[in-house]
Amino acid sequence: MFRKVLIANRGEIAVRIVRALRDMDIASVAVFSDVDRGALHVRLADEAERLGAPPSAESYLNIERILDAAKKHGADAIHPGYGFLSENAEFAAACEGAGLTFIGPSPDSIRRLGSKTAARTLAKRANVPVVPGSEEPATRLDHARALAKQLGYPVLLKAAAGGGGKGMRRVDAEAELESAIRDASSEAERAFHNGEVYIEKLVELPRHIEIQIAGDRYGNLLHLGERECSLQRRHQKIVEECPSPWIALNPEMRAEMGEAALRIARAASYSNLGTVEFLADQYGNFYFLEVNTRLQVEHPVTELVTGLDLVQLQLRIAAGEQLPFAQSDVRWNGWAMECRVCAEDPENQFFPSPGRIAQLREPAGSGIRVDSGVYPGWTVPLEYDPLLAKLVAWAPDRTQVIQRLLRALAEYSVVGVQTNLAFFAEILNDAEFRAGRLYTAFLADLIARRKPRERSPEMELAAALGAAAASSNGSPVRAEEKQDGSRWVLDGRGRLLR
Amino acid sequence: MKLQVLVDGRAIEIDRAQLEAAAQVEPGVFSLLVNGHSFEVRVLPGKPEARVEVRGTRFAVEVRDPRSTSSTSSARAGTGRQNVTAPMPGKVIRILVQKGDAVSAGQGLVVVEAMKMQNEMKAARDGRVIEVRVQDGDTVSAGQTLVVLE
Repeated sequence: MFRKVLIANRGEIAVRIVRALRDMDIASVAVFSDVDRGALHVRLADEAERLGAPPSAESYLNIERILDAAKKHGADAIHPGYGFLSENAEFAAACEGAGLTFIGPSPDSIRRLGSKTAARTLAKRANVPVVPGSEEPATRLDHARALAKQLGYPVLLKAAAGGGGKGMRRVDAEAELESAIRDASSEAERAFHNGEVYIEKLVELPRHIEIQIAGDRYGNLLHLGERECSLQRRHQKIVEECPSPWIALNPEMRAEMGEAALRIARAASYSNLGTVEFLADQYGNFYFLEVNTRLQVEHPVTELVTGLDLVQLQLRIAAGEQLPFAQSDVRWNGWAMECRVCAEDPENQFFPSPGRIAQLREPAGSGIRVDSGVYPGWTVPLEYDPLLAKLVAWAPDRTQVIQRLLRALAEYSVVGVQTNLAFFAEILNDAEFRAGRLYTAFLADLIARRKPRERSPEMELAAALGAAAASSNGSPVRAEEKQDGSRWVLDGRGRLLR
Repeated sequence: MKLQVLVDGRAIEIDRAQLEAAAQVEPGVFSLLVNGHSFEVRVLPGKPEARVEVRGTRFAVEVRDPRSTSSTSSARAGTGRQNVTAPMPGKVIRILVQKGDAVSAGQGLVVVEAMKMQNEMKAARDGRVIEVRVQDGDTVSAGQTLVVLE
């Protein structure tokens, strides 16, 4: 097993990996950019090394600096987390070239699955259905027009190197195609230094269901069941759960989708952990979307239901151990659900809300797990994604897990940045959500039918008294943390009053 | 002594003695007992209104100081000049209009990127661009004026 592992990431996932390492009595090395000097992952790790200036290209995407840090600290492996360099085959190869173990699949597997077009070809050969679409990036507008017409609108534009919704656009008509390609391509260029986008048919009312796979270096491969991630906003997952409510009703589909995922993994000689994403319609058809050759943000829901520690499993596999269990040993117990707590304002078009966290209380208690990357007094930088923490709950069934999350949300308190915490309560109380009738546009529809939030005379009196007490106490919050652009606040309030 | 408090524009009169129901438990967080019910109230001070959150619902609360006579209710720009401001800190990555352009409600003006998301600042109503105050690549702070419309 490794003695010391460098974590080439930041935020909650870097903290998550520090914890797994400490659970295994392995030393950890954190890396940081200048704005992250005081970040939680740096505080918790055994050792830490500065990478550079805040922009990702100069810090968390700087391969040379990361390898130098690993050498300087005597690390023998690198865990890439998710995002940043986690799906970069060049980085995986550079690690190996420097005598370091990359904790993930081989550079060759990343290459074969990392390009979405190559992955589709591989899936088709493995007899796994794919959504109809282009095999080549949409570089020429006339080709793109012809293809979109042939597929039939609506179509979806996707970044070839993408993930997390960056560089993705729905296009409903030919008139929108040109500007949508331009926007998607520039967003992809910024996010991944690769502006290639391709076009596919949009499957209507699909669920996003993904299969967690695990494989060792000796060809043993198995799946750890599904996660349903249909609740997305701008193609970013917001709430994830295991089991999928749809698979709970159609239990034979878990094995069927699991087997399809493993056929792709076998074809790519896959080792370590990965996730095969599918779109599923309500009739039992499912289509391969892509493979994420890394740990997923939402991995905790699988951990809570299977009782496994997926980061520890990654470390064991990377260190050359065999999978310590067989497919028939995998059990799924109860229900788990995750909310991605983000610094964004649901009352103001979900605009990002970086800034200093003046106060923070995270929930705890039975069945609650919080994977957080922040602390009171921490300034959330504007350079990186807005995920603050993942609130995850486990309970014997879905109704109880929803109730537990509502309880935890009532305990959760953040002052200083706006968060989407209150929005989760709206989701969890929604009748359609509770009935498990999910699809990838669910949140867009929910947002369209949002009602003004509850307000009682008692709440108004509490608000009045709280503000009066604050003004007579003097301000406990520094001036620069005061509310931003009042016009946006007024707009939000205007909506509330209508 | 009485205090006048405006909660989302609605006047509520409170007695200073009632403030005993409020206990500051953490920075910006007050525990309130109202009719025996327990509320956590989060207060972000501001002028003239504080932003207050109770059980996920937000209120704009203005506490009128009895010593001061000025009761500046914030002016709402209905017509006339309108400053389009950045709602959060970020970087200007695209400017979609020029000085003199006529714009219609909902039209994109400037694209600001923060936390890896691109956000298009749109015109709230029809008008004309009389000033563009930022350039491509500028870093902007929350509340900074990007474009002035009339």
